[in-house]
Amino acid sequence: MSLTWRLPGFSLDVAWEAGDGVAGLFGPSGSGKTLTLQCLAGLARPDGGRIAVDGRVLFDAAAGIDVPPQQRRVGYVFQGYALFPHLSVAENVGFGLRDRPRAERGRRAGEVMERLELQPFAARMPRELSGGQRQRVALARALATDPALLLLDEPLSALDLPLRRALRDDLRAILAQWGTAAVLVTHDFTEAYRLGDRIVVYESGRVIQSAPRSELLWRPASEAVARIMGIRNVLRGTVAKATPDRIQLHWRGQLLEAVNSPIRSYLPAPGAPLAFFIRPEYVRLIRKDRGAADPSHHMNLMRAQVVDAADFGTTWTLRLRLDEPGPPAQGDHDLEVEVPSLVYEILDIARDRHWELSIHRGSIHVLPT
Amino acid sequence: MSDAALDALALSVRVALVATVLTAALGIPLAYGLARRKIRGGGVVDLLVTLPLVLPPTVTGYYLIVLLGRYGWIGAPLYRATGWTIAFTWWAAVAAATVMALPLLVRTARAAIESVDAELEKAAFTLGRSEWRTALEVTLPLARNGIIAGLVLAFARALGEFGATLMLAGNIPGRTATVPLAIYSAVQTGESGEAAVLVLVLTMLSCAVLLVASRLGARAA
Repeated sequence: MSLTWRLPGFSLDVAWEAGDGVAGLFGPSGSGKTLTLQCLAGLARPDGGRIAVDGRVLFDAAAGIDVPPQQRRVGYVFQGYALFPHLSVAENVGFGLRDRPRAERGRRAGEVMERLELQPFAARMPRELSGGQRQRVALARALATDPALLLLDEPLSALDLPLRRALRDDLRAILAQWGTAAVLVTHDFTEAYRLGDRIVVYESGRVIQSAPRSELLWRPASEAVARIMGIRNVLRGTVAKATPDRIQLHWRGQLLEAVNSPIRSYLPAPGAPLAFFIRPEYVRLIRKDRGAADPSHHMNLMRAQVVDAADFGTTWTLRLRLDEPGPPAQGDHDLEVEVPSLVYEILDIARDRHWELSIHRGSIHVLPT
Repeated sequence: MSDAALDALALSVRVALVATVLTAALGIPLAYGLARRKIRGGGVVDLLVTLPLVLPPTVTGYYLIVLLGRYGWIGAPLYRATGWTIAFTWWAAVAAATVMALPLLVRTARAAIESVDAELEKAAFTLGRSEWRTALEVTLPLARNGIIAGLVLAFARALGEFGATLMLAGNIPGRTATVPLAIYSAVQTGESGEAAVLVLVLTMLSCAVLLVASRLGARAA
């Protein structure tokens, strides 16, 4: 699909494709994700572009095609679920089946409720349901019509956090089991990653990356994508030397060595600015009771001091400042490092604040500019 | 109560009921169209419908004569075609009551329809419902209490209509003399007992209607 939309102060201009499975539209609020869904459903009309599902053209500005929402065979799960408050659960689920014979309607609604374990609530009214049950009813209502494409707008955002996690995995199972192609909108990267087979990253009305989820996680297309994904330790250095399989770079008085991207091998000129990121859980603290660091085993060595430590229950997040003159790279610190609580205790980091670090070259991810 | 008073009461109730039905037929589609911005020039329509609420009823009645009277814009062709004119029939009382009651229904029903989450309508569209069926199955049922409250108000207003009725329908006992008009005549001719009885009856009827309306309003909110 591709579409454009112009409004004073906002323009949407996006194009992406997705195969079977779930496409996760991910990006900050106001980046045009929901508007894209509404265009897909025919609830909003873009100024230009073309939308096709399974080869069936739903909208084509040039050809003057605009299939009305009633005929698009698109299921929509709204952010607030939009259950009809005056109808029971069974009536809500059967709402989209009106043009079928009465008997078949009841059978199909029953079958869908069965599969989503909603039978016990069939006679209840939406106001008598919990948030999680409402979400299921909304899902059942959309799936009952056997849509060619299922759209989900922030399906979990109306729920409390603990429930949200449980339902995220539920939803994943339902989508996988049902096998309907789906597009899901979320501003939570974990959600996009858990639920989407492919992730489309939105920023201010543009798509800045569209990739299978694992590729996105390990190879964000740009610094902007990395920042929107909430990746920590997104840093900027300058290139020292680039070869097809290695990139050396200067950063905070260090000469770091990184693996060049095997897919889009990248050869910037020496002295060029370069963004990269280091995942906090991949920085290693070197144990002092095992002798000096071994250069054949440890690389990208540096010394740093813990300036802050925050307890997250199962892990600790340390903020470290390198023993280098000049302003730290991220405010009061250069790197965030995450260690399991057990390691924090064994190494006695609470008392010992000075450490030598090493980062494997494979854990320094270079970002294309 | 005298026979004349009973006649007036029966006529009033009949006129008010018919006017309420007409108000519903005109007002509910109008309220929906205005609430969902489906009417071109909705602002002008809204103004015209609301005007009787603020104009003196005699002015509204004057416009009705200009429109529906024997020599009126609609009335004259009608008279030429059928030989019938609405003026001084009980239908004139119905027309006057309808025009006066319409703004009360339209305003109340419009607010009720606007408070229905538009997302529910979108959901119905994606589930295959046409806009027409969506209005009938989703929007109007959800705005039901507000619409009924508006209808009750309209009925009360129709029951109490005086000025415009006098202008268009006159004050003919048994034909167009509704309770408010009968009260006026009774006071004019010094029948204070008759007037007091009718005043009491009309007050009680209106109180009952308003109580029902406020109940429904509370449930709608």
